[in-house]
Amino acid sequence: MPRQHDITQLLAEWRDGNQSALDELYPLVYDELHRLARRYMSRERKGHTLQTTALINEAYVRLVDQKNVRWANRSHFFAISAQIMRRILIDHARRHAYAKRGGGAQQVSLEDVATVLPDQSGELLRLDEALKSLAEMDPRRSQVVELRYFGGLNNEEIAGVLNISENTVTRDWNMARAWLYQQLTGSGAN
Amino acid sequence: MTPERWQQISRIFNAAISLDGQERAAYVKDECGVDTGLRSEVEKLIAAHGNAQSERFIDGMAAEAAAPLLVNDADFEPPRLSLTQGQQLGSYVILDALGAGGMGEVYLARDSRLERTVALKVLSEEIAKDQRRMQRFRQEAKVASSLNQPNILTVFEFGEVEGLTFLATEYVDGQTLRDFLKQKRLKLGDILDIGIQVLAALDAAHEAHIVHRDMKPENVMVRRRDRVVKVLDFGLAKVSDKKSSGNESEASEADTAFKTAPGTIVGTINYLSPEQARGGPIDERTDIWSTGVMMYEMVAGVLPFSGVTSSHTIVQILEKDPAPLSKLGNAPPELERIVEKAIAKSPDERYQTAKDMLIDLRSLKKRMDLELEIQRTSSPTTMIPAIRTEEVRRETGKRRVLAVVLIGMAIVTAAIIGINVWRSWRVRSNGGAVAPATAFAPGERTLTYWITVQKFRDKKPFQDPFTIPGEMIFEEDYQIRLSFSSPQTGHLYILNEGPASSAAPEFNVVFPSSTANKGSSLIAAQQVTQIPEQSWLKFDAQRGTEKLWLVFSEDAVPELESVKEFAGPQTQGLIADPARNKVVQNFLKTHSETKPTIEKGERLTTLKSPGKLLVHAIRLEHH
Repeated sequence: MPRQHDITQLLAEWRDGNQSALDELYPLVYDELHRLARRYMSRERKGHTLQTTALINEAYVRLVDQKNVRWANRSHFFAISAQIMRRILIDHARRHAYAKRGGGAQQVSLEDVATVLPDQSGELLRLDEALKSLAEMDPRRSQVVELRYFGGLNNEEIAGVLNISENTVTRDWNMARAWLYQQLTGSGAN
Repeated sequence: MTPERWQQISRIFNAAISLDGQERAAYVKDECGVDTGLRSEVEKLIAAHGNAQSERFIDGMAAEAAAPLLVNDADFEPPRLSLTQGQQLGSYVILDALGAGGMGEVYLARDSRLERTVALKVLSEEIAKDQRRMQRFRQEAKVASSLNQPNILTVFEFGEVEGLTFLATEYVDGQTLRDFLKQKRLKLGDILDIGIQVLAALDAAHEAHIVHRDMKPENVMVRRRDRVVKVLDFGLAKVSDKKSSGNESEASEADTAFKTAPGTIVGTINYLSPEQARGGPIDERTDIWSTGVMMYEMVAGVLPFSGVTSSHTIVQILEKDPAPLSKLGNAPPELERIVEKAIAKSPDERYQTAKDMLIDLRSLKKRMDLELEIQRTSSPTTMIPAIRTEEVRRETGKRRVLAVVLIGMAIVTAAIIGINVWRSWRVRSNGGAVAPATAFAPGERTLTYWITVQKFRDKKPFQDPFTIPGEMIFEEDYQIRLSFSSPQTGHLYILNEGPASSAAPEFNVVFPSSTANKGSSLIAAQQVTQIPEQSWLKFDAQRGTEKLWLVFSEDAVPELESVKEFAGPQTQGLIADPARNKVVQNFLKTHSETKPTIEKGERLTTLKSPGKLLVHAIRLEHH
């Protein structure tokens, strides 16, 4: 487990504009999320579900030096976690889509894949693309979607993370969701 | 979109959605003023907001799915695809990545020497070092290329270039039978089609004394375009024991692979025959067993032999009789008999050859097709689903008599058996709009149509409607309905060319229309398309010959897609724009030079045309 100090330090550096800090942070946070997820699952409690938010929260508590914590650090931590979750899902969906397209003598095992995201991989990939376009136009609204949809955060948490009011989060969400819906269903103006 | 515009839209949007109905409309109108473009964008966004809300669009799904995925290491690793688009590998140019699996990576590639598209399986280094597995690929290439049969995946080349070992095969855009089984319960017609094609492949292999030995749904691909089946992976195949007089020393990999330490079996054992499970000598009848297991699974939706561990499964394979199909699915008794015979424990009690089983399946399919035709033609209402059990029973006797009249003595026996077979299945399945299951060959378009005629007297229906396969002289008070169906998916367009009165013919778009098929030209395989959907087609006062142009194409036809908009009620489908009318005329003229073959049955006409496009004109003469 990486030392709390390192993570806290890296988060501060990233906040201060050091992009290479993100490259170092990413694998550290991923490893911790991964380790926690495995531990949760190995307990195999009955009826137990593994929730993204709970996972990110626990990772945060474990990784970040609570004594020197700042809101900005916390928000950056959640932002990275949501990004990681997004990447996991998108990579997963991409594999699923590759496999579904079939082809030649290929054989890809889909046993685990199909149970998680039945037939939604295509939609998820298109959503990811649309979200990228949204980010170019309106980074904050795209971040609201990333935090909520991929990070599993509620509006209150998102407000804290982005340092905006909850009302703004709601408004951003409504607008972003309507726009994404348009993009995905082709009901847009364009 | 400029950032300013985006901000403007979002401001109006956010304010508007906090208002209700009229107030909202008035607000938007007010805010946008003369900028109708802005107003339309805002309104569309508001509509999208409503839909997104009621459909719970992106409501928490991804977040829930993300955490459990973390547990699985492999999912985070992106597929390690080492070749990129446009890269050259010998004479192959990589077009796209298709996937990565245990064996290596699969790409869509273009063979620049022979100008053909192939699936290129690039084997991982690990596999390439494994002599035994390499032997499998060599074997697959050798066997498959010696078997030239349309239902066997063609292997072009097994080779090595720039240190990479690859297998180039025919590219099949489709899904494996395993994928199909996961997604949905297959229809009886599909099950028979798949079974027949698998057996045709095996028949060809067995003729060459080659036993596949690893038949399972993962090794059966169904092409999306035309549902042609391809049997894959002859990697474990070997020359039949019957012929290779006891050369037992070459211990086959299939046999040993399944006899490795318990728990280490990689592949599935559910399709293993009893003789394979025992490690006994194997011949063609093992493939028949495995095909029987697949057919059982297709009908019942569950495997006949499946235990909690592989040893339990093996015990079941050796000893247990599976649950009768009639208890699990809607299989007609004849199909149940065929499958049971294929999975008899003793090879001597099974079908002895793939050909025998193929013949039984084909004749079952024929009987069912015939029965369908009888059922449909004896009463037009049978096209409407959900016939109640009692009604069917009551009418059985009557329809048998009809069958005699319609079909003639030669096939009466078959027809009656057909009725029994079919009815016992249908009564249980409770019907569904049924389409004629016409056979079709790859590279060919097939379309079946029939015409239902209703006579009218004093504007009221007179006598029962009757069905004809096509052309006749229609009286003025006859009204008609057209029905179409194909075993293939495709784009259907129907245009009416009125009796030529002037120099330029006029075309009306009959199908698709805003009401018919929801405006889409795409029809599914076996879908019955009826025109008009509710009422009847009336001939207009102008006498002469009406031509109904049928265009059935694998791909959407741009020339005809572009005139769909005319199919509204105001213009009765008339293509009002002379330029586009001309485009349609030219299209039909050019493409009607290839005439389809016409097979007329008692009640149906089936058109077949080589290639991807079928164009035909039905001539309706009325007086």
